[in-house]
Amino acid sequence: MNFNCTEQQTMLRTMARDFLIKECPKSRTRELERDQKGYCPVTWNHMAELGWIGLVLPEQYGGSNANFMDLVVLMEEMGRNILPGPFFSTVALAALPLMEYGSDEQKSRYLPPIAHGEKIWTLALNETSADCNCKGIKTAARLENGEYILNGEKLFVPYAAIADYMLVVARIKKDRVLDKGFTLFIVNRNKPGIDVETIPTITGEMQCRVRLKGVKLSETDVLGTAGNAGNALGRILDKASLLKCAEVSGACQSVLDMTNTYARERLQFGKPIGSFQVIQHRLVDMLADVEGLQYLVYQAAWLMSIGADCGEQLAMAKAKANEVHQRVALSGVKIHGAIGFSMDHDIGLYYRRVMASKFFPRDTDYYLEKVARGIGL
Amino acid sequence: MDFSLGQREEALREEVRKFAEQEIPDGWIVNFLDEESRDDDWAFSLSISKKLADKGWLVMGWPKKYGGRDASCIEQMVFAMEAAYWGIPGLSMGVSGTGWIGPSLMLYGSEEQRLKYMPMIASGGPDGIWCTGYSEPNAGSDFANIQTRAVRNGDGYIVNGQKVWTSCAHRARWCWLAVKTDPNADRPQNGISLMIVDMKSPGITIKPLLNYTGEHIFNEVFFDNVRVPAVDLVGEENRGWYQLMKSLAYERHSFGGQSYGTGKRILHGLIKYVAETKHNGKLMSRDPIIRHRLAENAIELETLKMFAYEIAWKMSTGIVPIYESSRNKSFADHLLEQLALAGTEILGFSSQAEQHCKLARLKGLIQRQYLMFPGTAIAAGTDEIEKNIIGKFKLGLPRSY
Repeated sequence: MNFNCTEQQTMLRTMARDFLIKECPKSRTRELERDQKGYCPVTWNHMAELGWIGLVLPEQYGGSNANFMDLVVLMEEMGRNILPGPFFSTVALAALPLMEYGSDEQKSRYLPPIAHGEKIWTLALNETSADCNCKGIKTAARLENGEYILNGEKLFVPYAAIADYMLVVARIKKDRVLDKGFTLFIVNRNKPGIDVETIPTITGEMQCRVRLKGVKLSETDVLGTAGNAGNALGRILDKASLLKCAEVSGACQSVLDMTNTYARERLQFGKPIGSFQVIQHRLVDMLADVEGLQYLVYQAAWLMSIGADCGEQLAMAKAKANEVHQRVALSGVKIHGAIGFSMDHDIGLYYRRVMASKFFPRDTDYYLEKVARGIGL
Repeated sequence: MDFSLGQREEALREEVRKFAEQEIPDGWIVNFLDEESRDDDWAFSLSISKKLADKGWLVMGWPKKYGGRDASCIEQMVFAMEAAYWGIPGLSMGVSGTGWIGPSLMLYGSEEQRLKYMPMIASGGPDGIWCTGYSEPNAGSDFANIQTRAVRNGDGYIVNGQKVWTSCAHRARWCWLAVKTDPNADRPQNGISLMIVDMKSPGITIKPLLNYTGEHIFNEVFFDNVRVPAVDLVGEENRGWYQLMKSLAYERHSFGGQSYGTGKRILHGLIKYVAETKHNGKLMSRDPIIRHRLAENAIELETLKMFAYEIAWKMSTGIVPIYESSRNKSFADHLLEQLALAGTEILGFSSQAEQHCKLARLKGLIQRQYLMFPGTAIAAGTDEIEKNIIGKFKLGLPRSY
């Protein structure tokens, strides 16, 4: 048993923290909320130079060949500094799936530009009445003369407006019958028939509506097995949700630090408000939430990194992340009082961001049900 | 990071399970605190203590020369979890001896004290039974306000005063006593000392203090001119408060693991119960509200497991856990409360049946927990005091009291 990070992870953490504070101060985060691109290309390039985008990709594809736990540490730091941009969508939602399910040709073609920061990716999954349950997915690929014709509409696709490529979750239609299984398509966003529109959000993260009308794709655009990508999608979302948990865990740590500092500085009744037990005990509850979440995330990530089954631990981590994120962010705002509710203070950024993470890829009830099955119910 | 257990720990877990199957009667549900109430429970607990000592489990983490076997902190934690899961009695040994008196003697006792008292505790016999004299009528959470006086007199001290809520005093051979040695110190914390008192000393009177279920766990203990030899002072005179903060951290550190074991036992009991029981014609395990309630508790239990291992791991690297112990105790108390209450919701009206009554479900496990959790949540520091400690030591917040 060992609760320590490796030396390399500690170095990565320190470097990431310093870099993000310098390159992406909260003032910049606010600007990016109103920015059409939703991210900073200069920072993005620096991140590519530091080897972050290709952190866990093999060297032959321009990556740094690091461990999954290293990526978890990096995601924590990104969450801590609430960095906006397409890192998660490119790395967690596309690069990792490509690495795991792509053909050699697809990997050689798509991974190096990702690692070099040249191409941005995302995953188009959600629809009006569906997330990852196959029954609800209506986006269909009709097979015609060896070509797939894609039609449908995807909602809340992160950073689609600036993405070069999307992985699109669809079902194949033959003779008017939809396949029972998923297919994952690699779609160049600039193909004819694709219309992307930004959805205004409360979270500071870019989300888009993607309309697909008669988009033509070939067999080589299929990632993995056509009609049978259900398990692959499950695994892709497992890994991605674990990285999302790490990001949330980092955000919660930051909220606790900011709130604790504020409670020691803010004077009322002639004393720091942090000297009142009501405030102290709220902060202590936040601490137990934050540390508990961190360990559940580490446990699931460690299991995943050694290739062990981690379904139950992952579901626990995600359900906990949802609860803790909401609770800690809300306590953070409340302890800050009126200033926490104002545009001038950073704490509100974290509270608003909760909605961007909580339902990715599914809601808390889904994970509780998964835990229930895991414990034998 | 690596959260795996070693082969040794896995083997220990299996061995404890076998021991429990062999030695613990089916339906034995007596909690950590209440084995000292009835004479037959106590006799049985002591018989198990002896067997645990023979197995080398009772004080496994202590050095060999004091009766232990130098087991690692992780092994000890695994043992605490498993023993609590299987409801193995005899480990509290009158609450104090194995848990913190031994570790405290190792931290600041004299070598003579260690060699005299620790092997007695380690042997699992009646001479190893201790009580702990901290609380007084006007010194509960405000522990520094103790009034029991020890006045130096020749080669010893004369002790006068009263302790209260003293678990196991009626069974104990020794008392681990906190006294005021300097009432004029600049701060009350600077006038406290710790000493070992022979419970057979003249001048000690014990009065039972029944808890709300009628059990005899607590006592009032009166000291009337009790003579304590100076060699039985532990550590430095007037440094008792600072020594005791460490002792309490030790006392609290294992709660996480024990409560994890207890909690898991309750959770498993409830899972089995809802899988076998129909309510209004429907299997209870199909009810999404019940499923989610148990899932939420399972998540918190998993969190507690990580907290418990974290402490064991930190201790194995030489860190004395201060805020971590308080965090784990507070977290564990809250979780046991939630589990007990979830249990009562699931059992419904059966929750009011007395433990040994035929209509009691799960052999009274839930009722027992319902009755005991408010007590365990107060013992060794209330939730509020634990949170004050965390606020001060971990978050650096100003003292609030």
